[in-house]
Amino acid sequence: MAVKSIISATTLVRGNVRGAGSLEILGRIEGEVRVDGDVTLAEGSAVTGDIDATTITVAGAVAGNLNASDTLLLEAGARVVGDLTAPRIGIADGALVRGKLDTSGGAPERRPRAVATAEAPAPAVRRPARREEPPKARVQPEPPPAPAPARPPARPAPAAATQRAAAASQRSAAKEPPAPSQGARKPPPPVVPALRKGARARKKKSKARG
Amino acid sequence: MAGTLIGEGLTIEGELTSDEEIVVQGTVRGTLSSGDAVAVAATGVVEADIQAASLSVAGQVTGNATASERVDLQAGGRLIGDVRSARLTIADGASFKGNVDMEL
Repeated sequence: MAVKSIISATTLVRGNVRGAGSLEILGRIEGEVRVDGDVTLAEGSAVTGDIDATTITVAGAVAGNLNASDTLLLEAGARVVGDLTAPRIGIADGALVRGKLDTSGGAPERRPRAVATAEAPAPAVRRPARREEPPKARVQPEPPPAPAPARPPARPAPAAATQRAAAASQRSAAKEPPAPSQGARKPPPPVVPALRKGARARKKKSKARG
Repeated sequence: MAGTLIGEGLTIEGELTSDEEIVVQGTVRGTLSSGDAVAVAATGVVEADIQAASLSVAGQVTGNATASERVDLQAGGRLIGDVRSARLTIADGASFKGNVDMEL
């Protein structure tokens, strides 16, 4: 563990970095970093990829998930876009983070999966519940020998009302948009041919008769 | 310690590029290029093509080496691959297999 590795400021690594020992990054790494030891990202460094290590200290930029088995420290000037997982997480004033934080510790690699599975079913349960209600109202009124006669008249009524309202809104919506669009583009051409000679006179006559 | 140091126990798989000196005590697989010197220490293993100003090999290198200045194969060093460099020294106890091109 005493072995130290340094990625200098002008150094670019495209690929994965793995192994044991402490690692100080002053340059750029585009790839995964998995080190059994301490990883330090100095100011001006940039890592695009996940970092797994015992201890991670960040003063540079990271686009990827940080996973520390011991401690994760974000110093002032650190910019991290990714999830942080460690039993201990420290974020200094001036550090930027966009992502989830998990300090539940233990086995850090398993926790994110558990969280993901816990979150996923929750909306899955809610959505079917919402979907189930409207089908009942729609399906039951269609067959005449419905087992529950009390429900169909109660629900279709508002449904019909909403349909009418929706239809009305559609009509009004259908009428309204062309007018402003025509008015906005070229108002005179459609208006003038729309009214033929004597049209107003006919209307007046019909109104007077009616 | 200015420059890049790949410590013992560390493995890099991919492309390693630098303008500064690179010292390899660990393992590098892929491509290794530096605008300065590259040194492969006795514990170092490089399975990559190397491009550098100068190259010093005390460990194992498998791949073609191109150096604009010089290549030094030190005692205990192993180099398997072609060398393109204006200067080349091979110390007693070093092993080398490959072609040499000193017309640069």
